[in-house]
Amino acid sequence: MDWLEEELKSALSRKEPAGGFDERVLAAARRPKTVMLPRRWMAAAAALVVLAGAGQAYRWHRGQEARDQVMLAMRITGKKLSYVQTRIAGDRQ
Amino acid sequence: MVFSVAYHFLHDRELAEEIAQDVFLSLHRNLGALESAAHAAHWLRKVAVQRSIDAARRRSRRPQVALDDVAEPGERPAPGDPLLGELLRKLIATLPEGQRMAMVLRYQEDLDPSEIAAVMGIPLGTVKSHIQRSLALLREKLARRGVGER
Amino acid sequence: MTMLRVLAAGCGLAALLWAQQFKFNLDHLAAKASNAVDVSLNKDMLQFAGKFLSDKDSDEAKAKAMIGGLEGIYIKSFEFSRDGAWSQADLDQVRNQLKAPEWGRIMSVKSSEDNENVEVWVRHESGKVTGIALLATEPREFTVANIVGNVNLESLADLGGQFGLPKLKPSGTTAPEKKKDD
Repeated sequence: MDWLEEELKSALSRKEPAGGFDERVLAAARRPKTVMLPRRWMAAAAALVVLAGAGQAYRWHRGQEARDQVMLAMRITGKKLSYVQTRIAGDRQ
Repeated sequence: MVFSVAYHFLHDRELAEEIAQDVFLSLHRNLGALESAAHAAHWLRKVAVQRSIDAARRRSRRPQVALDDVAEPGERPAPGDPLLGELLRKLIATLPEGQRMAMVLRYQEDLDPSEIAAVMGIPLGTVKSHIQRSLALLREKLARRGVGER
Repeated sequence: MTMLRVLAAGCGLAALLWAQQFKFNLDHLAAKASNAVDVSLNKDMLQFAGKFLSDKDSDEAKAKAMIGGLEGIYIKSFEFSRDGAWSQADLDQVRNQLKAPEWGRIMSVKSSEDNENVEVWVRHESGKVTGIALLATEPREFTVANIVGNVNLESLADLGGQFGLPKLKPSGTTAPEKKKDD
């Protein structure tokens, strides 16, 4: 690195935000979000309510899929471990 | 790191803090998706870069200081002089945004060109070109002001 | 910057490498398989699935208890219509990732009569079990599983008695207590 690059490293060294930054971020994170919808968006909001119902159905479907995957995983691993145990127990006899 | 990337890129402390706050709130919402501390650092850097560039584009006015308008310092600062640091920061702020961000990531974050390419989502060759051109431009501007290697 | 440290620590804790613990690199077998199983459940998905497992069904209730302590379940299992679809290299590239000192093989069974081979590996970190790897092959089947988390080996072994599979008697006899079709 030459002198200019060294100077750039120094000039661009990290700067800190003003004091109290952490508190401001935490306060913003805790602030509840309120959305005021203009009247023309009411129809869109109504459509969203309908979609939310569809969303619930989708969530239920995904839940069933996840449950089925868990049971399948348990069957596969259980079957393999059972085989190992059976063989080891048989060898010990 | 986040505030600093935004600050050096935008040269605007208030805007940099807004961006940093926004990035950390996004992090808070996306914590579950992060896989490791290293992934989080990479994510923070990438989002800080994106938001900073977006903020620069939204600014309707031109860069705060045009390159040729950066006044020559009253006294010519020597290498190691804090005045030189301030001059360099002002000169960096006038670079086109791609070059500017590449320089911030190279000299503030100490990333190598391939890492910069990954964060900015641009080709490696473009990153190298950005850095070379920026350094050449800075050398020229500094030389005109009588600042250079002794 | 306290917030940064808290968030960074949170990221570190949340991560803790609870993702899959080694790569499977077996996508090329999917094209040759007559049947393929791909299970990929991280902690969030396991918790989500747990809400849909019934306490009234004994199999599901036990599965629910089992996954409660886990961070992830990742399985790829392929069945083929002919021998020779998978190679020793496919198995070795998985084994090569299970390196000491974290990983250790605790069980290995090879059967010359049906050519079924099963290996069980355990990952230890700071004296605790943090994962299981299971490699099982037959001439026309290839299965790799990674169960991530503080796995209770006894509970996992007890799965042998669940889901309609015969449970091993404490005396170690091979006679199954009961047998159900899957």
